[in-house]
Amino acid sequence: MRFVERTIWTALLAMVLSLCAGSSARAQTNPPTPPPGNTDRDAAKAEPRIVTDQVGRRVEVPQPLRRVVSLAPSVTETIYALGAQDLLVGDTDACNYPPAAQKLPKIGGPFTPNLEVIVSLKPDLVVAAANSGNRKETVDALDLLHVPTYSTNAKTVEDVLTSIIELADVLGVGDNGRALADSMRTRLADLHNKLENVTPTRAMFVVWQEPLISIGQDTYIADAMRRAGAESVVMTKQDWPRLSWEEALRLQPEYLVFASAHPDEVTATLNGMRNLPGWRDLKAVTENKIVIISDAVNLPAPRIVDAIEELAKRLHPEVFTDATHGASGGAPAAGAAKQSTEPAQ
Amino acid sequence: MKPLTFTRVISICAALLAVLFVVVVAALKVGAVPISISDLALNLARTIFGRRIEMPSEYRMIVFDIRFPRIVLGMLVGGALSVAGTSFQALLRNPLADPYVLGVSSGGAVGAILSLIFLPRIPLVTPLGAFLGAIATISAVYFLGRRHGQLDSTTLLLAGIISASFLSALISFLVTTLATRDLRGIVFWLMGDLSTPVPDSLHWALLAALLLGIGSIYTTAADLNVITAGEREATHLGVDVTRVKLVVYVSASLLTGIAVSVSGAIGYVGLLVPHAMRMLFGSDYRILIPASAIGGAIAVVAADTLARTVMAPTELPVGAVTAMLGAPFFIYLLRRRLS
Repeated sequence: MRFVERTIWTALLAMVLSLCAGSSARAQTNPPTPPPGNTDRDAAKAEPRIVTDQVGRRVEVPQPLRRVVSLAPSVTETIYALGAQDLLVGDTDACNYPPAAQKLPKIGGPFTPNLEVIVSLKPDLVVAAANSGNRKETVDALDLLHVPTYSTNAKTVEDVLTSIIELADVLGVGDNGRALADSMRTRLADLHNKLENVTPTRAMFVVWQEPLISIGQDTYIADAMRRAGAESVVMTKQDWPRLSWEEALRLQPEYLVFASAHPDEVTATLNGMRNLPGWRDLKAVTENKIVIISDAVNLPAPRIVDAIEELAKRLHPEVFTDATHGASGGAPAAGAAKQSTEPAQ
Repeated sequence: MKPLTFTRVISICAALLAVLFVVVVAALKVGAVPISISDLALNLARTIFGRRIEMPSEYRMIVFDIRFPRIVLGMLVGGALSVAGTSFQALLRNPLADPYVLGVSSGGAVGAILSLIFLPRIPLVTPLGAFLGAIATISAVYFLGRRHGQLDSTTLLLAGIISASFLSALISFLVTTLATRDLRGIVFWLMGDLSTPVPDSLHWALLAALLLGIGSIYTTAADLNVITAGEREATHLGVDVTRVKLVVYVSASLLTGIAVSVSGAIGYVGLLVPHAMRMLFGSDYRILIPASAIGGAIAVVAADTLARTVMAPTELPVGAVTAMLGAPFFIYLLRRRLS
């Protein structure tokens, strides 16, 4: 077998060399590409640290950790919020928060990342989000290539907090992680106290309008809604159920909740659909009980608390007036965005 | 038709292998991460002299762990699909037969998905499931495609297209209802995709299955030449038609199954390549089968190279590339046959 392999490689080399000869004239004008890395760069390395990631895989994390590639917007946002962005050497086309993340080298989309580009960035660790954009196949592929890959996974808001603490620990910024999670937990507890006596609003979260797609009960978005004093009316175990219009009309949610970074576009789309059958039969549409919150709710990352507070303020403005006002402005997490406080029209 | 001599077979295969080499070298060079020809030569030289260790690790990974295995996979899949297409065209006496058009690829995909859903942990169960799905589909299409006990070309194609559409619906059903695991990846894979690397051990298993499949079909090459004239005529000439059909259907299903299990449904390769080879080298199956195997390898590696470079770093599914080139060609063949 070795002989066969050698023959194949020799033949390939012969081909390449002949191409080389052909292109040597041109090569003189172009400076040769410098070799992209130093072979003995990783000569002096400590023992890797062995951790279990959030989908139960065993990951050997090289120490010290210097180069990290993020495969999902939630991971990128978390790494910035933890103040560990100096480790980040690449992220995806979809990573647009914080704005600085857009300037990092791109490895393709979260669903179809380019393995070659990931490897060329020489990551010590790749961080994926198992339930937020990445495919299991990608993680398996990186495993085959012996690129240590850590997967985050969150099905509830509590999971998001745990996930942040665990990722922070892996990245060597455990203190920041605990501080960030504590501040998020404080804000959530504060909100919980405020909303103690309100009746949950029956709401439908609209992931996509055409076809109508909502969320299942086992998603962190449904949990986020519960914490904002709302209940998702779609009772299903499926994460992203495609909803029939009959079912939507039978449910008749009190409010429709949209999440978008561009609320104007959603409003424009809605105005276009307002008179279509289905939409015009929804009470929430005729009564204009529509809330558009930040798209941060879509990511299992620190800003999900901002989105929860935002939704709570829109749905239950009465508990946010008067005396309790001061407490709600409490220490925003690192990387927290500005909060919009204008109530819905 | 030129007489078939051993020298002719060897020279045609050598010429095609030379083309394959050029395509493989080009595919090794281009990609989302640029690699210069001289670096490629240097690293190949290091490999030959057993000094891989001196290579920068990301070069080793990109060229030898990502690009080269993917190219090998493309060659295996291309060879398998083309030979399957060639033999379906011979047995069904239909120039438009192809594993994709006949629904055999979709059958393989259903088999693979069922195995993924119900027996996810057992190695090699996916190729086996795909093989069983493929063979069940070709049997069904074969029986549906008969009229008055004779294979009817149009009925056969319709049976294939209907089966493919039924099986696609079945796939949608399976993916939406049985989503116990994250099956979003499957939707991507279904379009024909080579971007997910497979373990080395699977490469060898696939290679063995490929050689077994192509080898078995090749033993019937002379008989296939006779069968293209008609099954009854072939029987009169002393060909054991039943045995040939059994060997070829099982082997072609095996080839389609292994291709589908690693790359999803890459369409039209089994249609395009055999026709191109027939135009170039004539329709003697003793030359057509090896030529299709190498030609298929060339086609899929070239298509996949396009798929991963045109929009880099974002990739197209290779199935989209082959379908874009293959579907118009199918129409062309159909029009030519009708006129």
